[in-house]
Amino acid sequence: MPKLQLSRVTKSYGAFHALKAIDLSVDPGEFIVMVGPSGCGKSTLLKAIAGLEAITSGSIVINGRDVTSAQPSDRGIAMVFQSYALYPHMTVAENMGFGLRMANRPKEEIRVAVERAAATLRLTDQLEKLPRQLSGGQRQRVAIGRAITRSPEVFLFDEPLSNLDAALRTQMRVELASLHAQLNATMIYVTHDQIEAMTMASRIVVLNAGRIEQVGSPLDLYRNPDNQFVAGFLGAPRMNFLAGTVEAIVGGVATIQLAGASAYAMPLRPGADLAPGSAVTVGLRPESLTPTDGAGIPGTVRLVELLGRETILYVDAGPLRSVGSDTGTANLTVHVASAVAAPPGAAVRLRFNPDDAYLFGGDGLRTLSAPKSI
Amino acid sequence: MGSMPALPTLIEGADMHDHWRRHREWLSPTLFILPGAAIFGVVIIWSALQSVWISLHDWDGMGPMTWVGLGNFEELFRDDNFYTSLKNNLIWLVVFMLAPPIGLAIALLVNQQIAGMRFLKSLFFVPLVLASVAVGVVFTWLYTPGIGLLAIIFSAFGATAPALLSDERLVTFAVVVAALWPQIAFCMVLYLAGLNGLSEDLIGAGRVDGARGWRMLRHVVLPQLSQVTFIAIAVTAIGALRSFDIVSVMTQGGPFGSSSVLAYMMYEQSIFSYRFGYGAAIATVLFAIMAVFIAWYLQSIYKAERGNG
Amino acid sequence: MYPRPIPQTARAARALYVALVAAILVVWLAPLLAIILTSLRATNDVASGNLWGWPTEFGAVDNYERVFTQSPMARFFLNSLMITIPAVIGVLVLSTLTGFVLAKYRFPGGRAVFAMFIGGNFLPAQIIMIPVRNLMLTLGIYDTHWALIIFHVAFQTGFATLFMRNFIAALPGELFEAARAEGASPFQTLRHVVIPLVRPALGALAILIFTFIWNDYFWAVVLVVNDTVKPVTAGLANLRGEFVSQWNILSAATVVVAVPPVVMFFLMQRHFISGLTAGAVKG
Repeated sequence: MPKLQLSRVTKSYGAFHALKAIDLSVDPGEFIVMVGPSGCGKSTLLKAIAGLEAITSGSIVINGRDVTSAQPSDRGIAMVFQSYALYPHMTVAENMGFGLRMANRPKEEIRVAVERAAATLRLTDQLEKLPRQLSGGQRQRVAIGRAITRSPEVFLFDEPLSNLDAALRTQMRVELASLHAQLNATMIYVTHDQIEAMTMASRIVVLNAGRIEQVGSPLDLYRNPDNQFVAGFLGAPRMNFLAGTVEAIVGGVATIQLAGASAYAMPLRPGADLAPGSAVTVGLRPESLTPTDGAGIPGTVRLVELLGRETILYVDAGPLRSVGSDTGTANLTVHVASAVAAPPGAAVRLRFNPDDAYLFGGDGLRTLSAPKSI
Repeated sequence: MGSMPALPTLIEGADMHDHWRRHREWLSPTLFILPGAAIFGVVIIWSALQSVWISLHDWDGMGPMTWVGLGNFEELFRDDNFYTSLKNNLIWLVVFMLAPPIGLAIALLVNQQIAGMRFLKSLFFVPLVLASVAVGVVFTWLYTPGIGLLAIIFSAFGATAPALLSDERLVTFAVVVAALWPQIAFCMVLYLAGLNGLSEDLIGAGRVDGARGWRMLRHVVLPQLSQVTFIAIAVTAIGALRSFDIVSVMTQGGPFGSSSVLAYMMYEQSIFSYRFGYGAAIATVLFAIMAVFIAWYLQSIYKAERGNG
Repeated sequence: MYPRPIPQTARAARALYVALVAAILVVWLAPLLAIILTSLRATNDVASGNLWGWPTEFGAVDNYERVFTQSPMARFFLNSLMITIPAVIGVLVLSTLTGFVLAKYRFPGGRAVFAMFIGGNFLPAQIIMIPVRNLMLTLGIYDTHWALIIFHVAFQTGFATLFMRNFIAALPGELFEAARAEGASPFQTLRHVVIPLVRPALGALAILIFTFIWNDYFWAVVLVVNDTVKPVTAGLANLRGEFVSQWNILSAATVVVAVPPVVMFFLMQRHFISGLTAGAVKG
């Protein structure tokens, strides 16, 4: 039985549809990360699951029980908020025990639950302090501890690490992942940070404009994006998108002409309806492009980012055309896994293996190239 | 009967509890807001509407009310006292507009972090917390011919101070000056808060760009204080139109009604002459004039609210 | 900071500046200083016209004693306390409830109720005077403390609601979502979350409302007539008729009326200023 089942969950504000018929099934113990650009509906969806936002239609089932119209506290969820939402006038222990106190549980039970959660999160020495006496990371752990004491069916996290500095964020990422393993709990986690998504998720849900674009394991999404949005959203630096035209299709392999460059043969997905002459978008991850001494796409280095072990080159590739760029020329991002000495202005030639390229329909809505072997 | 009723009661009790839990999310807020909204609605809002109704009647405050339609208003617009009061309200409004700039000037004066300045600053606030009756008595004393502070100052220059409160031409100005005193302090408080909230970055940018003194004030500081200025002007205008206490204490509208304002005239007609319908008509006109400022003010708060949210 | 701070190293300039501000302050407060000085004068000096020269004797104790023994000022003072304190408590209770609901709940008509509170707050007293007076007569509490208490509670609830609503609206919304997610009922949220968090605002509001009610004069002359219920403001106006040219006594009485709000102000100055500017809508 799935731990959480969303069926056609819809949320409208007048004519604006924040969530459009969302379907999602979450198994026990899964760590689901919902990502998407701001305004995509991910926080709304989380609040709908929590019961803090009423949905317009659809149903939400937690642990086999329909909770669509239940109060938040009756849903078996606990939520960790972006700002932590710790009550400033209560001690750490009071904050963590507040939910149980509201449920009129005996004092002793609350004490035990709080102490156990505190031990899990190394907060035992902080229990009598007020939130303002704690560091950011500690506050974050109190917020998580508050969720743990309620032993919920599902944990909900709303961008919980976005208020932490970079170093602490990395550390908390690791702690959260190990906490998930330790509690074996079902967690739903909203973030706009794709690194958090890639590193922590058992499955990622990519949301865009109130719709689910794709659901899958991090690597699956990275390697086999369903469409140009997912391909562009996951992966840093971002995938390069170039305009191309179909020259010919022979036996499931399309020959694609990149504007101003040579033609490349790319295998198609079965059933990809594509006719010669139609416009397509070719996606190239920065790491798929390599500087070469031999034949390749000619370009000029505009900017070099030396990151030590790796280098990112920004290359103006004159004859190519970027999709969605109005400058006319293509600006390619190239990731090289070593230090490269290429001064700005230097001429480079870039090559790529057509097997590493992605092919999207001209509208970007579907991926046409065949899945890459993993 | 035996034990039979126990079961339904129990179920009903559970039902009730469930019912309460299901509805408390809207029922409790309703119960919370009810007492405040009810007492305010009845005592304040309903009374205001009732006044408009009373203004259409002849009424001595005890006997039956006689419908006179717009009769009270017609009489009012022929009443010389009404125009005197209206003119005085206008004088109040104009002179009161000195409060925002003077308040700003004092705020700028004391906005320095020097030891002791904080204490001086709070002494500047004092007129604000004085009862207006007290302010009225204080200024009456100042203006007292022959022995008041003003008379002493004039005689120091070999002149004789005019008897301000018995001079029909000067009396209103004398009264407004008294009322201006706490009003300036109020504007000063607003501007000090505004100066506190200035963007340090913008001031810094202005300094780097070479703006100083008056030009800094004009081009960098005042634009940031526009909201405060607006509040100061609107509240000062409303205060000028509401003026009652100081007139009542200092002159009771005299001499010969020459310092009366609409608020005082209304009070006098109702309480002393038992002309409640006529009084209500004056109040209605006063309210209509103020409604312009109130609407202007509310609309701009509403805009600011929308801007923030 | 604007104006440009006088540098800390310019000690002489700073001292000079403070002296300048102090001189301006003396002019600014001259009316008040005059009344305080007069309240210290002996009756003989006042009678003989020696109001500003060197006093021949010290009259302060006598003056203030006479204010309390030869006039009903003690009674007025007690009345003011008996009216102001219950009214302030009533306003705080009601406005916490209304402010909480208007800040954190969306419901049909909510905006209209809020507009009613703000708009009503600006009504000139005269437009409600006659019906309010009638209401108190009908209720049989005209010319009692209750008339003023009930009126002030009703009227100040408008301003106080605006004040509390703005304060509570500024509290982070996630605190309230967290409370809901953890099963706190609206009443529990009020008790365990709102009230502890609004305590500083209640302090500021209490002294503001205290000052407003203490200083009220209009309603004191409209709703009560008897000396046994009159508050200090209406009382002081009466004394002017009683002690016509005894300016030393009148001055002392004025100082007595002025003292409580001034003391309150100095005790809780920060609260007072922040409160006044936060709800800068009070006329």
